[in-house]
Amino acid sequence: MLNTPAPAASFPARAAKLLSLAVLSLAVLTGCSGGASQSVSTAVKDSSSAVATARIVLRQDMDGKLTKAAASTSLEDELKEVQTSRSTVLKLSPASQEDRDLQKQALDVLDQCAAGFATARAALAANDGGTPSLSHGDKALADAQDALKQLGDKVGSK
Amino acid sequence: MKRLLGVALGILTAIGGFVDIGDLVTNAVVGSRFGLSLVWVVVVGVVGIVLFANMSGRVAAVSGRATFEVIRERLGPRAGLANLSASFLINLMTVTAEIGGVALALQLASSVYYLLWIPVAAVAVWLVIWRVRFSIMENVTGLLGLTLVIFAVAVFLLKPDWGSLAGQVLAPSVPQQETVWSYSYYAIALFGAAMTPYEVFFFSSGAVEEKWGVKDLAQSRINVLIGFPLGGLLSISIAVCAALVLLPAGISVTSLSQVILPVAEGAGKLGLAFVLVGIVAATFGAALETTLSSGYTLAQFFGWSWGKFRRPAEAARFHLSMIVCLLVGIGVLATGVDPVLVTEYSVVFSAIALPLTYLPILIVANDPQYMREHVNGRAVNALGMVYLVIILVASIAAIPLMIVTGAGS
Repeated sequence: MLNTPAPAASFPARAAKLLSLAVLSLAVLTGCSGGASQSVSTAVKDSSSAVATARIVLRQDMDGKLTKAAASTSLEDELKEVQTSRSTVLKLSPASQEDRDLQKQALDVLDQCAAGFATARAALAANDGGTPSLSHGDKALADAQDALKQLGDKVGSK
Repeated sequence: MKRLLGVALGILTAIGGFVDIGDLVTNAVVGSRFGLSLVWVVVVGVVGIVLFANMSGRVAAVSGRATFEVIRERLGPRAGLANLSASFLINLMTVTAEIGGVALALQLASSVYYLLWIPVAAVAVWLVIWRVRFSIMENVTGLLGLTLVIFAVAVFLLKPDWGSLAGQVLAPSVPQQETVWSYSYYAIALFGAAMTPYEVFFFSSGAVEEKWGVKDLAQSRINVLIGFPLGGLLSISIAVCAALVLLPAGISVTSLSQVILPVAEGAGKLGLAFVLVGIVAATFGAALETTLSSGYTLAQFFGWSWGKFRRPAEAARFHLSMIVCLLVGIGVLATGVDPVLVTEYSVVFSAIALPLTYLPILIVANDPQYMREHVNGRAVNALGMVYLVIILVASIAAIPLMIVTGAGS
């Protein structure tokens, strides 16, 4: 009797298998994150970058190196970055008490960042000697930066 | 004397026209995250674009026809369609990114929200394409784009540690906080930004617009061989600026407003004025080029009458297709999508589409039926083959790396 090869899987079946494998790989590659701490870590990194940018903007404005239009646009862009990070953290569904605490702490810090931005923007608008002053704005952002660093250290040590 | 001036003007416009939103954003992102450890990719990309732009210009000058038209005829409609689909979609993304770039730069200059500038920028692009002569359009935007040289000036004004910079360039390594995957992803993005397909199609169609012949080959070669590498130096100075000011502060570039900060740091308000004029000119010039490239590729594939040397009524479908492209660009940007994000994706998708663009050019440039005695020499072909391998590797690796790195985030 002739050894006939087993019939090859039909094209749609093979395609379905390949598709499942691709979807599975995608899910593994994109979905293997560290849950809440990973998202908080990313949010902290992005917000730290935004706050650091805002501090450079304020310093350059104080030194007369930046126009009002460029400074206010930069602050707006960076505030948007913080808001995006906050929205990401807000949408998390923490599974454990520890993650819930982390989410709460991250939201507090990101709110502090947003408040720092509000002070900085007000300072830029009142740059004619009114209050708050640019140094007030910088102080608010520096405090937010410290809080972000502490949160970052906490998330990093996990 | 007149010829010498022509050569100088050609070189200057090639330098000024080299940088577009893709180069601006990608170089700044890379400088702020990887320092100068990816400068070698810009060098590889610039050599590649010099090689293929020169080939493409030669095809146009010798055959009197644009490269895409010759590809369509030489390789048939199927290969032409593959080439068209890839390059046209990338073009459309790039048109969108460039218009967004113009609007963002105008917001930085005026503080008027960028979405309000988008229709203004798009109408301005259309008006220039409709009314302004090709050579004037190219020379004005190219020369104004030269003000981006302020990035190079700012590098000196920032008084860097040259030894440390040289160390980063000569002994590139993946920074501690980054992964080898994100390093590779941005290497591909930088390569895609330097070798964007629209540049060669625009270059060859521009050669036809300006009625180049064999006698102009020397000038075309000088423009490419001197102008593009100097434009590449501008790209590198954007990365150096970001590496000097943003990287030490822990800033990763996500917006155009961050790109200008190092220049303001080094050169103050005057430098800021230069950089804003430069960014508007560079992105506006690139918006003109990409819009025209979209029209060129479509018209050359379908055999429509095309070119700015014809009156718009004589190339109605060519002009209509460009208007549609601009409207699509406005529509995409009106959704509120971040133009910087569109730019980041467009340079990576450029890398994916590169083989479909550059392989046909290499084939056509070797066809004596079109090129007569001006076919590629052995050295050019050998280098072309090496680049095809690089292009293929970049193209294959781009999507997996995009998934693994979460688009470089």
